[in-house]
Parts: sequence; C-alpha cells; structure tokens
Amino acid sequence: MKRKQFLALAAGAATVPVLAACGGTSGGASSTAAAVEGEIEPRPISWLLSRPANGAVISIVSALAEEYAAEHEGFSLELITTPDRPSYIQKYETLAAANELPELFDTDATPFAAKLASVDRMIDVEDLLTQLGVIEDFRPAALDYQRFDDGSLHMIPLEFGVELFWYNKALFEDAGVEVPTTLEEMVPLCEALAASGVTPIAVGGADAWPLERYVAYQPFRLAGPEYITALKQGDAAFTDDPGAASARWLAALGEAGAFQEGFSSVGYADAQALFTSGRAAMYNMGTWELPNLATTELPEEMHERIGFFTLPVTDGSVTGPDEFVAPSGIGVAVNAQTYDPLVRDFLGFVLARYPEEYAKSGLLGPTGIEPAVPDNALPLYQEAIDVAAELGDATLMPWDTQLDPSTNSRLQQELVLLVQGDITPEEFLTTMDDTLTKNAPKYFED
Amino acid sequence: MHRSPLPADGSRDRTAPPRRRRPSPLRISTVVSRVLIAAVLVVQVYPFLWLLQTSLRDRQDFASANPFSLPAQLTFDNVVRAIEQGDLLRNILNSLLITGGACLLLVVCGMAGAYAIAVLGFRFSGLAKGLFLLGIVVPVQVALVPLFIDYSRLGILDTRAAVIIPLAGFALPMALYLFLSFYSYIPRELYEAATLDGAGPYRIFARITLPMSWNTVVTVVMVNAIFIWNDFIFANTFLLSEELKTIPLGLQNYIGAMGNTDWTATFAAVSITVTPLLLVFLVLNRAMIYGLESGASKG
Amino acid sequence: MLPHRSRLSVAVFLAPPLLLFGGGVLLPIVQSLGLSFYEWDGITGLDFVGLANYRELLLHDDVFRTALVNQLGYLAICLLLQVGGGLLVATLLISITRGREVLKVLYLMPAVISTPAIALLFQRVYSYEPVGLVNTLLNAVGLGALARPWLSDVSTVLAAVSAPEGWRFLGLYTVILYAALLAVPKELEEAASLDGANPLQVFTRIRFPHIMPVFVTTLIMATTYALRGFDIPFLLTNGGPGQASELVTTYMYKTAFTSGHYGSASAISVIIVLECLVAVGLILLLLRRKAA
Repeated sequence: MKRKQFLALAAGAATVPVLAACGGTSGGASSTAAAVEGEIEPRPISWLLSRPANGAVISIVSALAEEYAAEHEGFSLELITTPDRPSYIQKYETLAAANELPELFDTDATPFAAKLASVDRMIDVEDLLTQLGVIEDFRPAALDYQRFDDGSLHMIPLEFGVELFWYNKALFEDAGVEVPTTLEEMVPLCEALAASGVTPIAVGGADAWPLERYVAYQPFRLAGPEYITALKQGDAAFTDDPGAASARWLAALGEAGAFQEGFSSVGYADAQALFTSGRAAMYNMGTWELPNLATTELPEEMHERIGFFTLPVTDGSVTGPDEFVAPSGIGVAVNAQTYDPLVRDFLGFVLARYPEEYAKSGLLGPTGIEPAVPDNALPLYQEAIDVAAELGDATLMPWDTQLDPSTNSRLQQELVLLVQGDITPEEFLTTMDDTLTKNAPKYFED
Repeated sequence: MHRSPLPADGSRDRTAPPRRRRPSPLRISTVVSRVLIAAVLVVQVYPFLWLLQTSLRDRQDFASANPFSLPAQLTFDNVVRAIEQGDLLRNILNSLLITGGACLLLVVCGMAGAYAIAVLGFRFSGLAKGLFLLGIVVPVQVALVPLFIDYSRLGILDTRAAVIIPLAGFALPMALYLFLSFYSYIPRELYEAATLDGAGPYRIFARITLPMSWNTVVTVVMVNAIFIWNDFIFANTFLLSEELKTIPLGLQNYIGAMGNTDWTATFAAVSITVTPLLLVFLVLNRAMIYGLESGASKG
Repeated sequence: MLPHRSRLSVAVFLAPPLLLFGGGVLLPIVQSLGLSFYEWDGITGLDFVGLANYRELLLHDDVFRTALVNQLGYLAICLLLQVGGGLLVATLLISITRGREVLKVLYLMPAVISTPAIALLFQRVYSYEPVGLVNTLLNAVGLGALARPWLSDVSTVLAAVSAPEGWRFLGLYTVILYAALLAVPKELEEAASLDGANPLQVFTRIRFPHIMPVFVTTLIMATTYALRGFDIPFLLTNGGPGQASELVTTYMYKTAFTSGHYGSASAISVIIVLECLVAVGLILLLLRRKAA
C-alpha cells in the first residue's frame, strides 16, 4: 500500500519510529461492487463537497438526511463544505493522498478521479443505481457527463444544465448583426459589435474554464468528441486539423476584439454583470444561471432584450446543432473502503426523493422531472429549460475535465496569450504539443 | 551607546516634545514629512473605507456602477445576508481561539528559546539558532501532505490543535528572532548585577527578562496575529467540520454556483470580522504604553 | 553566558520551542525532503527517481525558470515597499509628536483584511473594463494613454501582483522598525544635532547603526516571506497571462495540488529553502561587511 510506503519513508528519514509502528492498518475493503450484505448499522457519515453553502443541493440533501436520521438513531450526515473550487481540490487531493476520504466525496470526471477508481477507491455507481432501481430516471446526458473514457460510471450527478449563448437583442440590432449560424460567422459578428462600441462577448477569464470552453468548440464540430479523447492521451496532436482550426479561430476572435479588454482577470460575477447591465452583447453560460439571467429582477429594459442561441455549427460539422455542452456538474463518488449497508441504504433513500425535491428549486435536474419555474421568471426561462429535452447524443466534454492537469493548466495560460495576440497560433500549437508529449503519456500510462 | 535600556527610552520619549525645539530650516522638512504621513495614511486606510462603503452598497448598484464612486444609497441588506448565510459569530470565535492559542504558544516558546540561546547560553547555541533559522525559510504549502498524514496518525485531524501547532511552529522561528534581536538591547550589566545578588536563571528570567519583554511580546503578537488570523491554507487542510471553521473559511459561504460570488455580502462579512482584530490591536497598543511605563518604573 | 545557569535550566527553557519546532516544522520538512527523490501522485505507489525531479526542474522546465526570475522581481518590489517604505514611515512617525500610536494602528489596517478581499479589491483597482481606480486616476491627470488592463498586460502584471503584497504589510514592518527606533537614546541624537549634524546624518550615523539588529531581522523576514509569497498572485492572476506572473511558489502549489506531482513539488520547495538560505546568507554577509 502506498501509504505504508510513504510512512516508512517519512519515518525512516525523520527517524521517528512511532509513525511506522502504527502504519499497519490501511487495508480496507477493496470490493467495488455495489452489492453489500449485512445489517444496517447507523453511524455518522461524512460528505466532502464543493457546492454553494446555501444552494439547493445542500439544503435538500441535509433535509433528507435529517429525516433519515429520525428513523435511524445514531445516523448523521456531516458536511465538509469547501465552495471555492481550487481550495476544494487541494483538500480533496490531500485527503486522497492520506487515504482519508470520507464516505461520500464530490469529484469531476477528471483523470485524477479515474486513477482513484482504477485503484478501487470508489464503487461502481452504474451498478448501484441499477440495483436501487433509479438508473432509468436519470437523463442519459447527465450520466454520460460523469463517465470515464472506458464508459464506466463512478459518480452520481445531482445537477444538470445546458450551456447557451445568451445575447442582447438590442445591441445586435444596433450593430446590424444577426444570430450566427456557424462558428466562422462569429468573427465578423464580433468585429461589427466591437465597432458599434460594445463588448461583443463577456467572459470571466479569472476562472479559466469559461474561456477554455471556446477551445473545444471547433474540434467538437469538426471531429466530434473523439478528438479530445485521442488528444489527451497523446494519440492526436494540437497541430492536427481540429486543434489548428481552433487556434486560428481563437486568434481571429481575439483580433476581432471579441472579449472585453483585460478579460483574463475579470471574475465570474463581474463578467455576468457586464452582460446583464447591457454593456456586453453575448455571454456563454449554463442554465444554472437562469435565476439570474431570466428574471424580472433585472433592470426593466433588459427583460425584452435577452435571448439565447445554442452553439453554432461549422461547414461540414460532424455533430449536430442539438449537441453541445450539457454538464451535470460535479458528481458524488462513493468511497469503496467505507461502503456498507448503511451508506447504500441512505443513498437509496436520498435518490428516491431527491429528484422531486430538486425540481422545486426551479433548476434543471439530473432526472427528467420538469423544474417548477419561479414566479419572477421571464418567458425565456421555460424556453431554455425546453432546450434540455431536445439534446442530441454526442456530449461536448469540457477540456478541463479531460486533459491531464499539467497540460490543462498550461493550456489555460497559453489560451489567454493566444487570444490577447501575445503569441501566434503556431507558437501556441507548438508549446501545447510539447507540453502534451511531456505530460500526457506519463499521466495516462498507469 | 547600548547603555540605556529600552523601556526608559520609550517613556522618556513621551515627555520629549518640549525639549525638541528645532531651528527654522527644518520647517520645510516638517511639512514634507506631515504630507508624506498623510499620504501614507490615505493609501493604507482608504481600502478599508472602500470595504465599509461597499458592504453598505446595493448589490445591483455595485455590479453595474463604477465600484469606486460613492454609492447612490446605503443599504443594510448585505449585512443581513452576510449574517443569515454565514455563521460569523462562530467563525469569529474560532478565529479568536486559534489565534489566541497559537500566539500564546508562540510567545511562550519564542521567549523561552531566545532566553536559553541569548541569555543563558550553551555550547550548541549557535547550532540551535541556525536550526531555527532554517524554519524561517520553509514554504508551508509543501508540508501539508506530510503533516496531514502525521496528524491523521496522531488522531488530531479536525481539532483546533491541528491548526494551532503548525501555525505556531511555522511562526516560531521569526518570533524567536525578534526576541533575540530585541534581547540584544538589554544590557549585560543588569544580568551581571543580578547574578552577583545571587539570582538564578529562573529568578533572572522572572525579574529582568520577562518584565522587559512586554514591548517585544506585543510586537511579536501583533505581527504574528495578523498572519495567523488570515491563515487559510492550514485551516482549509486540517479543519473539516463546520463548527471549527475560521473566518477565512467562513467567507466562502458567499460563493455561489460555479464561483458566482455574492461580493457585497462578502465585504459586509469582511467588515464585521475585521473588527475584533482591530479592537485587539487597539488594546494591545494601550498595553504596550502601560508596559513601557511599568517597565521604566522598575528598571 | 549566565554564570549560575544549570544544564537543567537550559533544558527547561529550550525544550518547549524545540518540541514545537521539531514536531510541527522539522519533521514535515524532512519528510518532504525525502519525498523530493520520489515520484508520487498521491494515489498509486511511490517510485524512487533519485535526482530526476531536480534535473527535470533545473534543466528542462521553462515554466520553472520563468517563475524563478519572476520571484526575484516580486522580491525586489516587496523589499522596496516593505523594508524601504517601512523604514521611511517609521522615521516619519518618530519625527512627529502627537497621534503616532493611532497612526501606527491605522497603518496596520490593510494587514488585517482577509486575503480574498484584498485580491478582489486589487482586481478592481487594476481593472480596465469597468474602469478601475488606477486607470481612472491616470485619465484624471491626463495620462489616459497609459491606461491599460494592468493584470492582463504581460509587461505590467508582475509589478501589479507584487505591489499589493508590499503595500499590505508595509504597516507591519513600520511597527517593528518604529519599536526599534524608539529605543535609540535621545541624548545621542541630540548631541549629534548640536554638533551640527543634519537629520540625514543623524539617521545614518546614529539611528541606523543602532537599529541594525532589528533591521537585519526585518530584512530577513521580508525577504523570506517574499520568496515564499503566494496567495495574492495566486488569487489575482493564478500566474497568468501565460507565465508572466507565475512565481516559484504558485508553481509549486499547482505542481502539488493541480498536477498531483508531489515529488516534484517537494523538490521545488527544497529549492525555495535553498534560495532563502542563500538570500539570508547574502544579507548577513553584506551587512556584516558593511558594519565592520
């Protein structure tokens, strides 16, 4: 076991034998099967999670846990909440390294999570959901988003959304432009909007992921979801056609002044405010923001102006206009080492009730149940919800969940330089291929 | 020139002004220095005022208007939201307990170590000094994983001790050095005289070193309380339960879906949570002046 | 050395700090030193790789090299603002008679504000769209041509992320140096003034030599904090755009907690320790020579 090795090393180096002496009990169940025999013995369990502290997911699951606790004396659900994602990842990886992950923990379908699964640290959720008889309730797209490359499912989705391009009709009219039907059209569109004196696209560059979405668009249209799967393992290159097209497109967008100046240090809330206050013409964002984007709380004049369109296609797209990013958010993994009849029973209890409760929050959920549209919603709200029902089969996986972490952080940094015009598409592609060949094979070999 | 002990200077300084008449050519430099003092004051205090102003600003107004303009109107909504969504009181209490605990440990250990090295002296005191110096230069981030594994073995994860120990430990070298450098101002003659009177190491510590250290203690506490109060990384790693969260962790309660943060509520919370530390500082400042006076009367 | 000390009394005073330091600091350092010779992702087994992590960093890692150079720039700005600024402000404070205690606490205010709030504040100070404080001021004094997105421009970002750290702890170093300046005997200063020394000479010949031990401590403190400085650049730009504001420390954090290369991250931290030791050695050497 790796922890024993580490402790032996640590103890050896520090000549503190105490640590080595007590390092023997790390075994634990290695079974990943969801079936588990035995009595339900109530005990406190924990869930390490990265979700808004007062969001719908936490309040619903906490309420259900309390109900469950009322029937099972001795049970309680401790929430270990870290809403800030980078801080969360640090905590998650530290706990994983110390082999101290709690019964339930949130994770994206990253290569890191795949490694955890490969050493039998999480149970097979497909199995679990099937046995609990709830797998049919879930949207296929919501489950697919959580799957690893081999098709296995180890995380339960608790949310769902589709990502749309929100736009300001009045600003489009002023600039004399129309909703784009192809990705190529976005370049002249942005030029025209910029010429009319507004920011064409508001993007929260400080968070890195919103800009990184754009790098995935051209390849998904030109080559489908397979390109990134091959690319991340080093079986394809950034310099291949889809990657090269993407780099050229982003450089062109940058040159057209598509994103607000200084976007790389603009935060999520500020970028959104640029759009909702009518200073930016477009905003690429998921339906989880519907309560803030399609609401009567916005200034009066914005009510009629906001519209949306879905990810444009390209000439010769291999994916359809109904296929784009539809994430089911961070998923919940179940720790295989602490999995027992209690955890299974509790999850069964929660999953049976959760979809209905979540629908009341007004947000699209991971199951097909229609959300209750809030009273202060604009008509747009329902229209956006309806998009989710029409999704095609192919899922655009955001690249930040796909690439190995070293290549991904380099990509996030180089993308900004590319869009700002500090480097050429050729330089971008060379740097990225170098980084990829250095990191990808090593990361994916085990 | 090292003759006069620190406390006496401090107290003399308060009565100094009348004797300090200076010739007129210095007037210009006086004006320049006043202007500089005021300029630094603006630069250091304005951000805090901005913080207060923003915490009383309407959320929409903050998002859409120039954040540095004066708000159109003031509202307490943010404060209400900050209190409702967060658990500020508990966070403040935890921060106070952890900062207090770590500072206490730090001061006791720093003072004792500096006394042993600088006053008592021993054969390997140079080596011990060097060893502590090493601690000044270690980046904390990478100790996280080994520490986490050690603490989980010891079973002290998710306790205040798991945060207090590394916080005090990593601050110790610096505190020790501050004590060492301030102890170099205490004249050796004082110790020699005490020794002739037959005082042993404990009595000398209690009678001379300790009373003369209050000034330094306050400085060490002020310096380190700031870093400990603001610590995020140790708290985020070693504390898991909601009940133990400190202020920097609690501020995350205002982060919404995908990183959409309620900034005005965050600022309101920051404004509320800054207050206890500022109060402590003001009190310490007073204590320092008293310490100086009592030290002077004894010396 | 005190004549009447006993071995026991030395042990009594030395034990608590050694225990705290040994258990809380030295142990994990030694552990991570050990880890730097391994490759470890935190999940699968440890692989002994000898010096490969160091070789890779020093010879083949362009980001690490950029980060090293950036960290020196960050250090220079922090030192200038903290030690230089702190000494200047402490001297100014000494020169006035009323309100210094209050001013001292007011100067400390930025240090008590939590880091995330400071990061957000400066994100707005430097912002271009919407127009931030710096650009507003530039426009107001007719230097609008200089306005730019300070945090996105590769040529300004390093200075922009360093300044807040320098500014934030200015008050702290002021407090320490002020306490030292208070200890300078007034008779000496007055005697020098009567001998016709101007204020600058009083400072360089009387005050500065007198506060030397504390000044050196302050310098070491500021240097080592700057060489380990991390949070504001991490929050403001996360090292970007490109690697323009990547510091060794942010790179180390990412290597450990984003990339999961704990061995390599440990190697970086060992290099940071060496870097700090060299810096401290240089400071002591230079100042000792000057004092001699």
